[in-house]
Amino acid sequence: MSQSSLEFTFDDQTITAISGQSIGAALLAANQRSLRKTRFNNNDRGLFCGIGVCFDCLVVVDGVSNQRACLIEAKPGMKVQRQVGSDA
Amino acid sequence: MKNPDAIVIGAGVVGACSALSLVNAGLKVLVIDRGAVASGTTGAGEGNILVSDKEPSPELTLALRSRDAWFELNTDIGGGFELEAKGGVVISRSQSGIANLKKLSAQQASCGIKVVELDAKGIREIEPHISNSVEYAVLYPQDAQCQPMLAAAQIMRAVRKRGGAFIQGENVESINTKSGKVIGLSTDKATYQSPIIVNATGTWAGAIAELAGSYLPIMPRRGFILVTAPAPKIVHHKVYDADYVANVASSDADLQSSAVVEGTESGTILIGASRERVGFQSDLDVAVLRQLARQAISLFPILSNIPLLRAYRGFRPYAPDHLPVIGEDANVLGLWHAAGHEGAGIGLAPATGELIAAQITERKTFMDPTPFSPKRFKQESNVAI
Amino acid sequence: MHNVVIVGGGPAGLSAALAAAAAGAPVLLIDSNPRLGGQYWRMPSDDVGQQGEQHFDLETGLILINAVKARKEIEVLSGAQIWSATHKDGVNTLRVIQNGAEKIINTKNLILCTGAYDRTLPFPGWDTPGVMTPGGVQSLLKGHGVLAGKKVVVAGSGPFLLPVAAGVVKAGGEVVELLEANNSARWLLSPFVMLENVGKLKEAFYYVKTISQVKVRARFASAVIAAHKNSEGNLESVDVATIRGNFKIKKVRNVKCDVAAVGWGFTADTSLAGALGCKQIVAKDGGVVVSADGNQQSSIPGVFVAGEITGIGGAELSMAEGVIAGINAAKFVGCKVEVLKAHRKRRAKRQRFADALIKSYPIKDGWISWLNDQTVICRCEEVSVGNLKYAINELGATDSRTAKLLTRCGMGLCQGRVCGRSVVDLVASELKISPTDIDRFSAANRPIILPIPLGVLAAGE
Repeated sequence: MSQSSLEFTFDDQTITAISGQSIGAALLAANQRSLRKTRFNNNDRGLFCGIGVCFDCLVVVDGVSNQRACLIEAKPGMKVQRQVGSDA
Repeated sequence: MKNPDAIVIGAGVVGACSALSLVNAGLKVLVIDRGAVASGTTGAGEGNILVSDKEPSPELTLALRSRDAWFELNTDIGGGFELEAKGGVVISRSQSGIANLKKLSAQQASCGIKVVELDAKGIREIEPHISNSVEYAVLYPQDAQCQPMLAAAQIMRAVRKRGGAFIQGENVESINTKSGKVIGLSTDKATYQSPIIVNATGTWAGAIAELAGSYLPIMPRRGFILVTAPAPKIVHHKVYDADYVANVASSDADLQSSAVVEGTESGTILIGASRERVGFQSDLDVAVLRQLARQAISLFPILSNIPLLRAYRGFRPYAPDHLPVIGEDANVLGLWHAAGHEGAGIGLAPATGELIAAQITERKTFMDPTPFSPKRFKQESNVAI
Repeated sequence: MHNVVIVGGGPAGLSAALAAAAAGAPVLLIDSNPRLGGQYWRMPSDDVGQQGEQHFDLETGLILINAVKARKEIEVLSGAQIWSATHKDGVNTLRVIQNGAEKIINTKNLILCTGAYDRTLPFPGWDTPGVMTPGGVQSLLKGHGVLAGKKVVVAGSGPFLLPVAAGVVKAGGEVVELLEANNSARWLLSPFVMLENVGKLKEAFYYVKTISQVKVRARFASAVIAAHKNSEGNLESVDVATIRGNFKIKKVRNVKCDVAAVGWGFTADTSLAGALGCKQIVAKDGGVVVSADGNQQSSIPGVFVAGEITGIGGAELSMAEGVIAGINAAKFVGCKVEVLKAHRKRRAKRQRFADALIKSYPIKDGWISWLNDQTVICRCEEVSVGNLKYAINELGATDSRTAKLLTRCGMGLCQGRVCGRSVVDLVASELKISPTDIDRFSAANRPIILPIPLGVLAAGE
């Protein structure tokens, strides 16, 4: 089966995803486990429930924060940033 | 607790402050709430401690004292309720509104309120994300905020530490009187003797007065508050439209709403405040949510991408003349009311407690309490409202 | 005009849609995922490609999905999330967000098949990247073709751990430990139920075979009780304990891994049903579910419910309920159709199996002894066990709702979906009382079902 791939950025890193993959899945495939820092204790967080329930995999997508990496499909040229607190 | 000197009904912020003032005055105080601490109107408020929305009046005198009392209280009991002197910014976008705001703030200044006029540039220096349409505002540095549930809970903690008692989950079913004087009350579980009862039950204060065979015209007005997801610090003050002041004083039954937007210490942004007189009807009214969202975005367009997380519905207790009721009942001796603060209960609570305690213990009050006396209501004339 | 609106495109929703359509009712099927199938038959994009070896019974799923797509009477609204719903005068209003815009759907006839998500229990370090739910690990595999880690510990309780462990093995990962908190083979206690559900034995055998081929040995009466991070903040190892019947710790050892998939069965997602006002009840496992009568009708006439939201019971029970709900909803809108005895019999058989399972995998409150005051309970708002204890012991909270409001526990973006249930148990444990149904309903109550951007809210009518 032919897989069409695409590229997006996570902070200053270029990530390759298969078309249809979520941002979170593509980041994990690229061994990016920590996706954000929490707003009170500055702790690392990553994918947890994987199905949009827990809101732990929050990233900033094209400038909009609080986006669930596990749900949002990766698109070519997307600018994804690690969320620190409530912002990029 | 055996034979308390006073029983306070209601562990909202007004009840808690009344209890603390009484305990501080040396009384043995028992607080009874049918639910948990702050489970009524206190738990559904923003935590406003405002002087900016008061016109020169006895209520403003009360508000000014109360604002300072909050900060004294914070030091006294050791904080823990996110008290913050964030300051209020009142804006207006119409010629007539600006004129009214200028007039009001000048009057307020003459009563001792600090006011700072801001032009378009000045506003942007303190609120960089405010809409371009805002060109005039007044900053009220004294306006403050707290987390009201935590405030009530921390004050109740202090009451207990200072010898007071607190019973949760008992519903008052009768106020016991003898020859026109309070002798105690009975709940669904027990009977308590006390010569003094403080009715701090907010929206339900009328029902307690009725149990004692008296009368108090306190009615509910529904208010919604939207709470957003945690957001970066984009709103630095309590920012609201001058229409809000007109709104608070309004007697219309329809939905009243004007944008009130503020950031909190926990990162959420609060958006209020709507007021409707719909009795105790508490459905989630999406039309109200939409209106509040539109008004908030018109003040801060950047809010468009911030998600709404919760909506509080609270019932604000109000009297026909929109003044709080603080004082002894017109008919029953020993029954004291501390209720009817409408949307200002959090802000006015400490001074209310001081007024109640001073009158009960027959000490000097910091202001003349007559305007707040329950004796101002004549049963016949107000029943229809 | 759609006569029957169905929410959820998993086993229950697909079955309900087909049954209602077969009876002649036009159907609108609203699904939050981009592709039908639900969590159970999570479908990847064409480019990712079908992860066939990840499913025991993919055929059934594909048959249902293709049948739904082929039926003219069924319109599918994919990637559509409902943020608010209300019921008034017999009409249900659903406010749906799709592609960033809001749609309002009014209907008198509704079938809710909103499913369930992994139940989690807090433990020290459970917020470390690398600690996941089993469902999360599986959805990465099935839906995205991504293996969550190289060395995986699968732990918790319940039969769902088996397919997740098998999935990791089939995708080339190493399952370093497979840990079931309860004692071995408890479900064989109900041989009659097993015999009448022999298909389930085949399924279990399929997974056991996969796992045993690579010599993964399942350990019973064992649990992951803490997670540790490396200098980069990612999962490095977990503490594994042998535990007693009440889940209290006997002996602890450390196990290196890069992913720990830890789950304790499922929690029904009743938010939508609750917002409409459907009566909810507390199930035997303490979870809140929606009450349904024999016709799968909720307490609101015309609102039917099927699948996990009526009680955790697995895909086959969900399908059996979905068919009955679909037929009754069609009947409700005037189609001439009746539920057959065979439908009811199938549902009853699957229900007995589900009941036996719940009995076999109890969660005992000894898990609370794994926590310390620093342990995070609410992941969103970073509220710790110590914060909750302060609210109870110093601030006088006497119920979980008050404890929550005084600490922000469960008031973050997930709206208490993750910690709500545990908080109720924890607060009750600290107060030395039993949780009330009111506490449990309150923890599952979400009038705003999903956070909605203010701009989208403002643009709506």
